[in-house]
Amino acid sequence: MRARKPLLMRHINVGVLVALMSLAPFANAQVKTRPPAAVEEELKKLDHKWLDSERTGDLDYCEKFFADSYVLVLTNGQTYTKAQWLGILRGPERPTLEVLDPADIQVHLFGNVAILTDHTTIKGHDSNGVRMDGEYNVFRVVIKQNGSWRATGVVMNQVASKKLASRNQNMYDSNWKPRRF
Amino acid sequence: MKRTYGLAAFLVVMIASGAIALGQSPNKTGQEDVATTVAILDRIWLDAAHNRDTGTMAWLFADNFVEIHPGGDIVNKQQQIDQIADPQRANLELHPDDIQVRYASLDVAVLTDTTTIRGFSGGVNYDGRQRVIRVFVKQNGRWRAAGAGIARMSPE
Repeated sequence: MRARKPLLMRHINVGVLVALMSLAPFANAQVKTRPPAAVEEELKKLDHKWLDSERTGDLDYCEKFFADSYVLVLTNGQTYTKAQWLGILRGPERPTLEVLDPADIQVHLFGNVAILTDHTTIKGHDSNGVRMDGEYNVFRVVIKQNGSWRATGVVMNQVASKKLASRNQNMYDSNWKPRRF
Repeated sequence: MKRTYGLAAFLVVMIASGAIALGQSPNKTGQEDVATTVAILDRIWLDAAHNRDTGTMAWLFADNFVEIHPGGDIVNKQQQIDQIADPQRANLELHPDDIQVRYASLDVAVLTDTTTIRGFSGGVNYDGRQRVIRVFVKQNGRWRAAGAGIARMSPE
């Protein structure tokens, strides 16, 4: 025959259970300010892989990595869809990118979407040979679809204090317009 | 008797069809609702900025909120709210147009808009149109602003 727990003990157990249950919603409501280290590392690597692919012309990767909803906003506000931007990268206006390097990548994770901000250095020239060197702070949005992260939005902003006085118009500059569209 | 059974069977099929239809519809309706909701939140966001309504901004912005401004400044939730509350800042006119929901799921929405700003702030003329990507996330059953990327559009 099992010995019954004293009444006080049973009340304490119930009390602990109630206290734990009452704390659960608070735990759920807390928003983590830093993403898990593994996810942060994965997304930082993804940022590098993304820009490496654009620099080297690995457009098969870009085709898969860009979500259908992908939209790119250049520093002049010019907006491109996935098809339009890949069209440029595949076409005669494709820029030659010598350096396309993200630094100081910050990851803001919100479950199935993450916002990355980075400082991207661009060195290269457009299809007309015009230099397009510059420093940009970039806002990147990636969403998780079927277990994979995919790019869905980019906003580029040239860092005001680092504009180069000698620069001419190029595709990342404020007044550049493509010949197409 | 047969007629009674037939009528009962017909009713069962009708009710079952209705249940199936109801079960299928939330997906599509849900997506439409997300688009409507975030478009409204876009306007609430800009109204709050215009009115220096920092309480609404604190309510709307997720804790991990991030925004990038034309010129490349990157601000977090508190920095953005502090900028809005800055008494040196004039009341900016802010008006969103061309709101397009680019992506919507049950807990994420990404939209673009063209926000027209008129006014000075801290001696800087903000007159002009800005292209914006805004990100919303659903946290604990409530839509919140996760971030925005803003680029100033070149004059036409």
